[in-house]
Amino acid sequence: MSEFQLALTNTAGVSSVMSFWVFVASNGLKRWRDGMLKAASIVMAIGFVCLTVSIATRGLEAQRFPLANLYESLLWFAWATMGGYLLLSGAYGIRQLGWLASLTAATFFLYGSWLPASQHEITPLVPALVSYWRQIHVPPLIVSYAMFFLAGLSGLLQLFHARRYMSLALAGATIVLSGTAIALGTFTTVDTRWLQALFVGGSLIGMVSAYKSLKVTKGEPAIKAAELYDDVSYRAIAIGFPLLTIGVITGALWANHAWGTYWSWDPKESMALVTWLSYAAYIHLRVHQEISAEKLSLVSIAGLLLTLLTYLGFNSLGFGGLHSYGRFK
Amino acid sequence: MVPETAQLKSANVKIFRGPFAIFSSVRLTVVLLTLMAATVLLGAWCPQESAVGQEKVIEQFGEEMAVNLHNWGITDLFHTPYFLILVAVLSLNMIAGSLEKVFPKLLLLKLPLPFYQAQQLEKFPFHAKLTSSAQPNTIMEAWQIQLQKRGFKTVVRGNQLAAEFGKIGRLAPTITHIGLLSLLLGVTITSWTGFSGFKPVRMGSDLTFGDSEHSKLWIGQLPTWKVHVDSTKREDYESGEAKQWYSNLSVIDKSGKTITSQEISVNNPLSYGGVDIYQSSWGMDQIVVSFNGRERALDLRPMGKLYAAFLPLDADTILIFSIKDQDKPLRLFAKRPEWGAPKLITEVPMGKSLMLGSVKMTYVKAVPVTGLQYKADPGLPIVYTAFGFIIVGVMLAAIPFRHVWIVVEQQGPGSVVYIGGRSKKAKTGFARMMTKLIAQLAAQWPEEALAEPVFHSDAITNGEAITNNEHADEHKLVTVGSTRRNDHV
Repeated sequence: MSEFQLALTNTAGVSSVMSFWVFVASNGLKRWRDGMLKAASIVMAIGFVCLTVSIATRGLEAQRFPLANLYESLLWFAWATMGGYLLLSGAYGIRQLGWLASLTAATFFLYGSWLPASQHEITPLVPALVSYWRQIHVPPLIVSYAMFFLAGLSGLLQLFHARRYMSLALAGATIVLSGTAIALGTFTTVDTRWLQALFVGGSLIGMVSAYKSLKVTKGEPAIKAAELYDDVSYRAIAIGFPLLTIGVITGALWANHAWGTYWSWDPKESMALVTWLSYAAYIHLRVHQEISAEKLSLVSIAGLLLTLLTYLGFNSLGFGGLHSYGRFK
Repeated sequence: MVPETAQLKSANVKIFRGPFAIFSSVRLTVVLLTLMAATVLLGAWCPQESAVGQEKVIEQFGEEMAVNLHNWGITDLFHTPYFLILVAVLSLNMIAGSLEKVFPKLLLLKLPLPFYQAQQLEKFPFHAKLTSSAQPNTIMEAWQIQLQKRGFKTVVRGNQLAAEFGKIGRLAPTITHIGLLSLLLGVTITSWTGFSGFKPVRMGSDLTFGDSEHSKLWIGQLPTWKVHVDSTKREDYESGEAKQWYSNLSVIDKSGKTITSQEISVNNPLSYGGVDIYQSSWGMDQIVVSFNGRERALDLRPMGKLYAAFLPLDADTILIFSIKDQDKPLRLFAKRPEWGAPKLITEVPMGKSLMLGSVKMTYVKAVPVTGLQYKADPGLPIVYTAFGFIIVGVMLAAIPFRHVWIVVEQQGPGSVVYIGGRSKKAKTGFARMMTKLIAQLAAQWPEEALAEPVFHSDAITNGEAITNNEHADEHKLVTVGSTRRNDHV
């Protein structure tokens, strides 16, 4: 990795941290709030541009499409999260999603920076990845994961504005717990069975408790901001779902081309199917059923957890499978 | 309920009645999708014997737990009656839902846009009422132009206007469901007539299809021809990592005649007679050495990036033969208990000999093995077509489907404008667009004193009628409302 690419990546990482703090500070300084929100978005936009150039530079240096290992996918994920936020904030005029989006991007930068140096280095591709399908199959998936993250984060904000604080706290704690399991699985030697139990068990208990603590009264007037974030969440899923579909289907086409079978119940592809099914359920619930925005928010947060499990969980929590070249241990 | 809802519901067809009506229920769809997701998650968590073998399950969970998981059917979850029944019920639900609810909606595409009376517009999720000094015709024309600019198709009938955006998005469920049903058909055809398998084949040996895997309910045929592995090799990066594996294959018919030949590699299969043959793995299988002229084949074991064969010489001494691939020299080591590590004796290029005491050893050849995956998938064209439908369907689903209705009535010297609209998907975005549009149109008449921010914020509030008494001008907003999301039609 060249110094230039490293500098650009670091600038993008620092931008996400800076924009996070400016977003947070804007909540305490109402007088300068609009200006600070705008400034935070601009800082994030600068980070987004730097990261775009960084990824392109890495591709030029490697003389291949720069999406071949976990570290590179994390750069793409952070890029898509920042870009997705800028897109949604432009469309909806929302900025409060910014602090969660920048926190997510910063967390993934940090996670990437802690990976071993071998992940940062540009290394040759294993035979299975020497294919044009790689650039068709992987980017839609990573971008869809980022959009699902933004949808789940909007779900958290919807719960906040709808004043469902207990559900919000439980859902937020569940996400933190799941992230902790992923981090422990990646950077420590803790038995993965405990971490699997922590992730899956914690998610189940957390989300069921969040659902139980949700009290929605029929005919209750909606709150403007809560409605807005419900809409943003749906919009992000409406972008992410076709991308996930394209990613899963092109993966099936690639698998058929390379392995002779388009579906082999590999853990990672099964998990991508689980995520697809959960968002298909979300769309059916949203379009056909009269279900409250708060419940839909919980579905989108559950979707975020499934996305996290699909993207990082299966490698870091020791599920193995044909996609294990995403691992580094 | 607004009249259009009745129209939408009237499009539904009733095929499944009585207790069978549940099969077309959307609620059942959601329950089945959730069950399917939970089941697949369980199957992803537990290694599947059919894919990785029983040893992997034992390695991961220990023998006792592995036996329990096996007895519960979790180690081969995707072949259990439970999973097959789940797939069958989901398929039935999809077929019923498609026939009763999804496909009939296509008929609605042909129907002309309905028109509504002023009072009916107040029942729409987004509604507003304005007064203006301008004449009805002028107002109607302005609305028509602005809506058309935003991609709406408009129809005007007297003092009423109906506009529609994203009609093509309405095809999304139909196309997606056609795709899913086609996928089901393709997979069924493959299951009944297709076969697959994996075989490591030594260079110079044949691949035949006698031990192929296929479903129990099978009406297909296995090929009578075979595939000969003429040669196989590995290509490395400069760093020594494997870059690609290649195999030269010949298809040979029953009479022994070569029909076709092709070099395959990972991601570049050979297709012949409906069977695809893939380069799946590669390794070194044997070395052939001769001792005083007597040839002997020694089996190789993978040892990291190398392969090694072991030949005990006596109770304490082991001769180790190590190679990287067939082009590299053979390295000879000896191992004795008192030595910390094996000692390198010498390197022998292929075809060369050396003396081991009184024994003349010759390195004759190395035999690589190529891992060939094969399959016949007659349903594949249908599956690929289904993939195309699904991708198009879900992409169309992202297009919001929006309706706007306007009624303009003469009121004294001016007009009163009734606005109603709905968006099935991005409702807040729709409300924002409508509010901006109202403000923009209001700005066309300079004498009007409407403040845009008032529209902007109020239009996305919920269900409450807002009276703007501050601006008692000729053209003013009287009410704007949008109802809570789950109260929508």
